Amino acid sequence: MTHLPVLIIVFYLVLAFLTPLLGRIKRLNTGWLAIGGTLAGLIMAAVLAWHVAQNGPYSYFPGQWQAPIGIEVRVDALTVLMTLLNNGVGLMVMLFALRGVKNEIGEGLTVWYNTIFFLLMAALNGLAMSFDLFNVFVFTEIGTITACALVAIKPKRMCIRAALHYLILSTVGSGMILLAISLIYMVTGHLNMGFISGEIAGAFALYPLNIYVAMGLFIVGFGIKAALFPLHIWLPDAHSSAPAPSSALLSGLVVKIYIVVLGRLLFQMFGVGIFENIPVPDVLIFLAILGMLFGSISAMNQLEFKRMLAYSSVAQIGYIFLGLSLTTHEAMAGGLFHMVSHALTKSMLFLAAGAIYYKTGIKKTDELNGIGYQLPLVTAAVTVGAISMIGIPGTSGFVSKWMLAFGAFDAQRPLLVGVLLISSLLNATYYFPLISRAWFGHPRSSLRWDEPPRLMLLPIIVLMIGNLWFGIFPQTLRILVVQVASMWLP
Amino acid sequence: MVNQLMTNLHYLVAMILFIIGFHTMLTHSNLIKKVIGMNIMETGIFLLFISIGYVRGGSAPIINDSIASYVNPLPSALILTGIVVGVSLTAFSLSMILKIYHYYGTVDSDEIMKIKDAEE
Repeated sequence: MTHLPVLIIVFYLVLAFLTPLLGRIKRLNTGWLAIGGTLAGLIMAAVLAWHVAQNGPYSYFPGQWQAPIGIEVRVDALTVLMTLLNNGVGLMVMLFALRGVKNEIGEGLTVWYNTIFFLLMAALNGLAMSFDLFNVFVFTEIGTITACALVAIKPKRMCIRAALHYLILSTVGSGMILLAISLIYMVTGHLNMGFISGEIAGAFALYPLNIYVAMGLFIVGFGIKAALFPLHIWLPDAHSSAPAPSSALLSGLVVKIYIVVLGRLLFQMFGVGIFENIPVPDVLIFLAILGMLFGSISAMNQLEFKRMLAYSSVAQIGYIFLGLSLTTHEAMAGGLFHMVSHALTKSMLFLAAGAIYYKTGIKKTDELNGIGYQLPLVTAAVTVGAISMIGIPGTSGFVSKWMLAFGAFDAQRPLLVGVLLISSLLNATYYFPLISRAWFGHPRSSLRWDEPPRLMLLPIIVLMIGNLWFGIFPQTLRILVVQVASMWLP
Repeated sequence: MVNQLMTNLHYLVAMILFIIGFHTMLTHSNLIKKVIGMNIMETGIFLLFISIGYVRGGSAPIINDSIASYVNPLPSALILTGIVVGVSLTAFSLSMILKIYHYYGTVDSDEIMKIKDAEE
């Protein structure tokens, strides 16, 4: 039981090595291996969550070497939240990919697709629980390479170009993260976040410059990977050109984990106390607001459905950063709630876009007229996703915006509530026409009820129900995110 | 001032390397040069990281009673991992550039953008 956190990572790594070998067996479909593996990962994450709920957070030391010498793996509320999210959404995406990835990348590459997926899951789960800066760096790199590979695997020139763009910018980010780690190590002599947070006050008094530079490099480095406005330029190309399951993984999970890691570094390692000297939260709030407005305005001008969703992600990432950088309990919990809500919603929307493309070959939004006649269930899911993005009561998007608004009042910044409202209205301007066109538009030809295969429909419906569930019964998730927020704030 | 600079020359050199690499990576349109820039940038970071652990007059960290001070082995060990990561990034990006050349017939990002704009 105590070895479980490391076992999840090792399990995924072993599966990643086994998949190409098992893929050589002619009659075996490695897609089922991916589903089984992720299901096992989800069960492990659930057992871990149960264990933490019973006994409270704990640290695991691989090889029994205690903290300053050994590596620390921290299992707390945040780890529980992120491992459950990673494995849960990962399972849904893989269920979809069993049928939904072959038509985009070809039969021969599915084995490699599943291999890359396992490596990505190892990196995501590793990032959720590592409490050691160098481990964070290594997992970040694995995550970067595999995320780029998930885009580049589609044999289209647009995808390779987008993936290379993503890779080059990500490498700049990784370089900055490593430089920041070296600057922190230089003044504190530790790589363990817990020990650094103990030394940081003294180090800041002696060498403020190192801390300033390191903090800036961390924010820019993780900001590139998390697509914080204005560092988001790689995101629309990469997320819209990738195969549908990859888009769902990238938008739903990969971007989120870097936000969480940045949050852990800023609030758990540097600590909120240091912000009295450096106005980091104010800068982040400013960028978040710009992202919220600019992302929505760009999304309005997009003709392609997936591209619109990608720009919408930029706006939604703005909400998450806004919540985290307001540094009040309610706002931070709201930001984390929005992260979960967006992970469920956006992965569902990308999968739905993939299902529409699979069934009809439609990519542009203005060709979606009357698609509700042909794919009523998928269109229902798109509708739920869209109203969750706008923030209409009954969906999880509403709960998170509600929490964010209260958090803004708590932080004595009522103007931000106005920004939230404007941004929601901007969301509505491009999601509502889509919905009305899909249900009430006049179809091009007579359409029959013809849903995609059940295995593709199932994950979309499950994610939709998850979204509605957290919209109507937010209490369980709320307890978890409030716990994370109270861990980050004194 | 000059004296201080001379004793910490390795930091300055590391930063110069970092900036050269960073600048090459962001300003050159040739993709291969971007990868070269990436490697120079990483070398700068590696140099900085390793020089943190260096102790003047220290010896290799193999315990021996006659030796008074040792060099900190941790940064070297970490950078070994960093180098491996850097190599895999280089290999991956070069293989993607190969694909780019296959699809576009050029490795110049400006020309690729022109082709892309012409498509749309």
